[in-house]
Amino acid sequence: MADEGPQQATADDDLLDLLVKQVTERLSAGEQRALDALDGPAASAYRRDFERAAAAMALAGSAAAAPLPAALRERLAQQAQTFIDAAGGPVRTDNRVVELASRRSESRARTGGFSGWWAAAACLLLAISAWFRTSPAPPAHVAAIPTPAAARLALLSHTDAIKVPLGATKDPAAGGVRGDVVWDSAAQRGYIRFVGLPHNDPAAHQYQIWIFDGERDQRYPVDGGVFNSPSASGEVIVPIHASVPVRVAKAFAITLEKPGGVVVSTRDHVVALAQVG
Amino acid sequence: MSLSVLKRIASGDTGAVRECLDQYGALVWSMARRWSRTSADAEDATQEIFLDIWRSAARFDAAQGSDKMFIATIARRRLIDRLRKTTAEPPMDPEEVLESVVWAETSNASELAVEAEQAARALAELKPDQRQVLELGLLHGLSQSEIAARLKMPLGSVKSSMRRGLIKIREYMHIDADGVRVGS
Repeated sequence: MADEGPQQATADDDLLDLLVKQVTERLSAGEQRALDALDGPAASAYRRDFERAAAAMALAGSAAAAPLPAALRERLAQQAQTFIDAAGGPVRTDNRVVELASRRSESRARTGGFSGWWAAAACLLLAISAWFRTSPAPPAHVAAIPTPAAARLALLSHTDAIKVPLGATKDPAAGGVRGDVVWDSAAQRGYIRFVGLPHNDPAAHQYQIWIFDGERDQRYPVDGGVFNSPSASGEVIVPIHASVPVRVAKAFAITLEKPGGVVVSTRDHVVALAQVG
Repeated sequence: MSLSVLKRIASGDTGAVRECLDQYGALVWSMARRWSRTSADAEDATQEIFLDIWRSAARFDAAQGSDKMFIATIARRRLIDRLRKTTAEPPMDPEEVLESVVWAETSNASELAVEAEQAARALAELKPDQRQVLELGLLHGLSQSEIAARLKMPLGSVKSSMRRGLIKIREYMHIDADGVRVGS
């Protein structure tokens, strides 16, 4: 277009840059407002085309892709079957993952001391800034899926759900535990998934979950329930049962306690921690 | 002409699910691995993507593109969403990635979606820096700021490289311009 001057060219580049960013990584609120001011039918066409171009590039860059791992493929097939059944027929059960939580703790928000390790964790928490994500509209339908693995997956797809890595502390009781925590503050539900947490004798000790709420005094984490770690190796998924509403989950911790859990933890054995942000 | 596997899934054909996994599992898995820090994350991502696919299958319209493109689009959206959700946990370092990018051979078009072949042709014509920016952004999930830091390039150069690269692919895909002047 020969009649377009430099100012118009700059405006077009700005628009295209915003569209590219929208398609490739999402926009900040300010960028979204700027795009809204420039948006129009042509921009919509470019947005669609850029999305197609990006998808085409993903296809082109995935030549000679490795096949799905067989176990994952089987899990996907079972989840699909469950989803289809839930949408139009009876829900099939799938017990590949064992739910281990055995007790709803009677305790509520805890009070207690402030050990060095716990204090260090709390200090880290103070530096955590809230993170707000923008995302497309959530799926219109969520099937009722009964297993912990499927329920965790369904929760993970919620707009408000977060997922944070879970790692071992230096406590000797931590073993090689690693995994992740999924938490949906809107639903007030969550799951801890892990491998490598040493087996406990329920008659002697049980593991207890704690949730640090950013809007509560961090010395008083919320009880998330107790559970046992099985002797068999493999992935374990444990639901989190918050004893009181958690407004802003900042971190999750697992301690080793006496059977049934405790009201006030001595924090002698903090075995795992997951920090949000 | 046989019914799309996605349409069959939408109609409740459970056999189509395994067919879909056979046909597109490797594509989704490949994308998920590149965008994820760990294999466990990649498995989660893959499960979320396929859940999205099952949910969205009824919306597939063959007139708008191939089923491969539909699935790649869903996968990208979910992966971007996941990545920005866990922004403190960047994707796997491209140099550590488990699976290096293998670009489509344009001579092997029969094995590819038409759109992928067009994208591969366009990429072959890009300048090396443009291609690198697109690879990091679109295949590894790095943000423009992360790309600028990694390549020690001004952010503006990253933006223009990404813009020009996508416009080039768009042109190869024979997409009509709709009134917005291309800025390259």
